[in-house]
Amino acid sequence: MSTDMSVAVGGMNLRSPVLAASGTFGYGTEVPLLERRALGAMVSKGIFLRPREGTAPPRIAETPSGMLNAIGLQGPGADALVRDYAPQWAEWDFPVLVNINGESVSEYAELTSRLDGVPGVAGFEINISCPNVEQGGMFFGNDPRAAATVTEAVRKRTKLPVWVKLTPMVSDIGVIARAVESAGADALCAINTFVGMSIDLNAYRPRLSFRTGGLSGPAIRPLAVHLAHQAARAVRIPVIGIGGIARAEDALEFLVAGCTAVQVGTATFVNPKAIAEVHDGIASFLEARAFRSLADLPRYLPRD
Amino acid sequence: MLDTPVTGKRQVARGMFVIGMHAPEIASAVRAGQFVNLGWSGGPILRRPFSVYRAEGEHIEVVLKAVGSGTGQMLAMEVGDRLSCLGPLGRGFEFGGGAREAVLVSGGLGVAPMLLAARDARAAGMKVTWVHGARTAAELCSEMDGDTVIWATDDGSQGMAGSAVAAAPDADVVIACGPNRMLAAAAERWPEAQVAVETYMGCGTGVCLGCAVPLKRGGYDRACKEGPVYRAADIDWDALPSHLPYAVVA
Repeated sequence: MSTDMSVAVGGMNLRSPVLAASGTFGYGTEVPLLERRALGAMVSKGIFLRPREGTAPPRIAETPSGMLNAIGLQGPGADALVRDYAPQWAEWDFPVLVNINGESVSEYAELTSRLDGVPGVAGFEINISCPNVEQGGMFFGNDPRAAATVTEAVRKRTKLPVWVKLTPMVSDIGVIARAVESAGADALCAINTFVGMSIDLNAYRPRLSFRTGGLSGPAIRPLAVHLAHQAARAVRIPVIGIGGIARAEDALEFLVAGCTAVQVGTATFVNPKAIAEVHDGIASFLEARAFRSLADLPRYLPRD
Repeated sequence: MLDTPVTGKRQVARGMFVIGMHAPEIASAVRAGQFVNLGWSGGPILRRPFSVYRAEGEHIEVVLKAVGSGTGQMLAMEVGDRLSCLGPLGRGFEFGGGAREAVLVSGGLGVAPMLLAARDARAAGMKVTWVHGARTAAELCSEMDGDTVIWATDDGSQGMAGSAVAAAPDADVVIACGPNRMLAAAAERWPEAQVAVETYMGCGTGVCLGCAVPLKRGGYDRACKEGPVYRAADIDWDALPSHLPYAVVA
């Protein structure tokens, strides 16, 4: 018996519920794509309209069961993405969503227009949750009106799926979730990294040059499961769970807690086969319990 | 990604150890200056990058000091324990161009890529002068392989008193590895030198952009992909962190 692992999520039909999280898979071209059968979709490294240098090193610091990063969305800009990467994506047998960023609503809008219709670009993940940029980023994700305005601006400029990646750094994620749902989002991705800081006791200053960074890895998983669950309770659109997933059991926690799919991030840094192992582990779990498909997995999702 | 058994461990200087592992695919492919990213069960979240120190037959070796809990765990390993080994990664040293002599300059753990550099330089028809420096005689690596070997110690306890850079002769091909401050001094003297830099590293495969190296022309690239070997004059040394608890050579 082979278990049906396909999912319909946010305007897409995916063969697997396991996706590659933005910023942890590059543009998909850096590493030979082994075991792509397991990959439902890839979300590309976050991009701005124009090239960005990123932050000064040190950019990463290891912390207990996790890591802090402040890359600052280094990237080549939209033109280079269209020229160098999208043509390759168009040949692949899984969809690629572009993680889009801006310092203003009009920049998000312009970037969407630039990428909409480009072969290889299958959808958008709006990043209103990056903690490592001075302008934009998390500012939009903190405020329900700003989050809705950005979502609406992107929504107006494309018919492709629009997902919104939420920040955990809010007092009530349900409020933001409902705001972007009303503004036309097809799905939510919950969550981006937590803001953290670690101090170098030899230098008496932060270990990261940006001072703070985004905390990811297993350290944040229970926080992420809770926030993804809260978001899922608040809306009708699907939620894609993110945060510290390294094994199938981790992904299953998000799925049972109400998520439709998951993204694997930091684990890929450590284990290039993480996505395949998560996928195969979910399939084994379902098979061992005689579920014919992922859709049969029991969910814990009382509605708000 | 290989699951490799540890095959041996030996001490080569005070606090400095060599660990060997059985990794045939890497041993046959690795070039001087390339590295492997090592992880192990129960280890830290991120892998640890190490220059390949030696490659013979089906075995590779890395050299390390206990600088943190991760390297401490590695040094506690015994023969038969398993390491997950990703590599060879990065871009190594180039020995084309028909020069007749190469000078290798290493400081402390900067010996890491130099045995292979000596091998590859000889294979390209060069004579090898190896200049190795450390704080004291006890910290000098005991395994050197040059047609000429020059020692330098900060306290003058062995060889010339002072830095390896100051003790080195000039040559057409200069290869350097050691603390970033030492490499900055090497860059002043030999802008065309090939240097292997140390950085924090996340994935080792080019996707996380954590190992940013600041460039003179502006912007950053990746120590794990475009590096860790650079033309010395291309790096913005003032912007490169100069002291790291662990790094490519740690």
